[in-house]
Amino acid sequence: MSDWIAIGALAFVAILIPLTMMFVSWLLRPSVPEQGKRATYESGEVPVGSSRAIKFNIQYYMVALLFVVFDVETVFIIPWTVIYEEAVGELGFVEAFAPMALFIGILLFGLAWAWRNGAVSWVRSPRANSQRVD
Amino acid sequence: MTLLPQKIADVIGIDSVFVDIFAAIIGAGLVGTLILIQSALAGPWAKRKITAAFTDRISVNKFGPLGVGIIIPDAVRLISKELIVPEGVDRPAWDIAPIILASSALLGFAVIPMGSLGPVNFQLADPEVGLVFVFAVASIASIALVMAGYASNNKYSFLGGLRAVAQNLAYEIPLIVVGISVVLFSGSLRTSEIVAAQQETLFELGPLAIPSWFAILNPFAFFLFLVANMAEVGRNPFDIPEAPTEIVAGHQTEYSSVYFVLLYLGEFVHIFLGGAIVATVFLGGPAGPVLPGLVWFLIKIWAMFLLTQWLRSAVPRVRIDQLIEIGWKGLLVLAFFNLFLTAGLVGVFAA
Repeated sequence: MSDWIAIGALAFVAILIPLTMMFVSWLLRPSVPEQGKRATYESGEVPVGSSRAIKFNIQYYMVALLFVVFDVETVFIIPWTVIYEEAVGELGFVEAFAPMALFIGILLFGLAWAWRNGAVSWVRSPRANSQRVD
Repeated sequence: MTLLPQKIADVIGIDSVFVDIFAAIIGAGLVGTLILIQSALAGPWAKRKITAAFTDRISVNKFGPLGVGIIIPDAVRLISKELIVPEGVDRPAWDIAPIILASSALLGFAVIPMGSLGPVNFQLADPEVGLVFVFAVASIASIALVMAGYASNNKYSFLGGLRAVAQNLAYEIPLIVVGISVVLFSGSLRTSEIVAAQQETLFELGPLAIPSWFAILNPFAFFLFLVANMAEVGRNPFDIPEAPTEIVAGHQTEYSSVYFVLLYLGEFVHIFLGGAIVATVFLGGPAGPVLPGLVWFLIKIWAMFLLTQWLRSAVPRVRIDQLIEIGWKGLLVLAFFNLFLTAGLVGVFAA
């Protein structure tokens, strides 16, 4: 039997369970519309402006860019780990280890560069800095 | 050993692809039920009892032994709450996010070897890419968190969603790099072979035979993996995406009724999935003396759950800037150091 039939079956069951719960809840739950109930929560204040237009820290972009590089890297590391022990037996330690060490080394060099340029340090706005109390 | 769906198909005895699919669904239902029972125990009951024990209180104790009966009224109460849909939510995304969160965490259990109970081996599938599959599926959850955060039309939710991405991005790489460092020992991504590679005796300690669990073979990797796993499942000290004292409840702020239940269910299943990955990769999977494998597997994932609750009671939350710096400057570098170290040691011994 193919493994992927079983994985597909679990995917089917895993989606069916939440849907069933939603259906049961839909049968049971009351609906009492009231004015003001549907306002989004803003600590008791009347919500101001759109929540999708708020400004947020540039850092979220920086780490996402870094992530893409390292995520692709792990895809290359995984096959290497699988054949590593055999490769050491056939080619010797240096031949199996050095190419991957060089590959990861280049990326770690990139990380060091990003580190030095402050890409992985949290960016604080001047206003936030002036309000720090420590 | 025969996998669970094959076993059920053998019991039915007819050789047809429809029987295979039917048996796979029955097997998947069994595994899903097993995991849901663990989450039902953990959510409304064990979490309360453990937190109460840590803070010197009693908590639920009226209904059933040790108050375990509270699960039933709590389930009914939560399911039958009114669903309040806030103004301006992005409707399909807002509804789909809880489903994705709950089902992606469940799907990860497809390749986990949960040990045997009598003649039945609780493992649904054993593909060649098992370990990669489970990491891939476990990280789908962050998509759900972003969807929930963006679609809720709430500023706290939006910030919670952003934080969830930043956190998962920062800790995904160390988690995978540390996780695959054990593949250097086992030489296979198949979860059953990773478990089998941990069964040999490492050394004898008097009458005790210490098995070569990767946690014993490489405690440094085990520690790194535990830390990265806490961040991956978003628990203390890394519960930044929720951070009740900073951003109310993060991505969950606008959810109520069954959607809230599904978000919580997804998180608990995710904690157990994290525990199952730790058990499979570092703690010898379902191995253990005397008791059947399934019982040992449950003990191990509950031990991981207890650890998350312990940290929740004992460790303060890190700030978002500290989180980014611990992830990128600390764990990532240590994870690559561990990979080199392990590769070096394996290479020296193999050569």
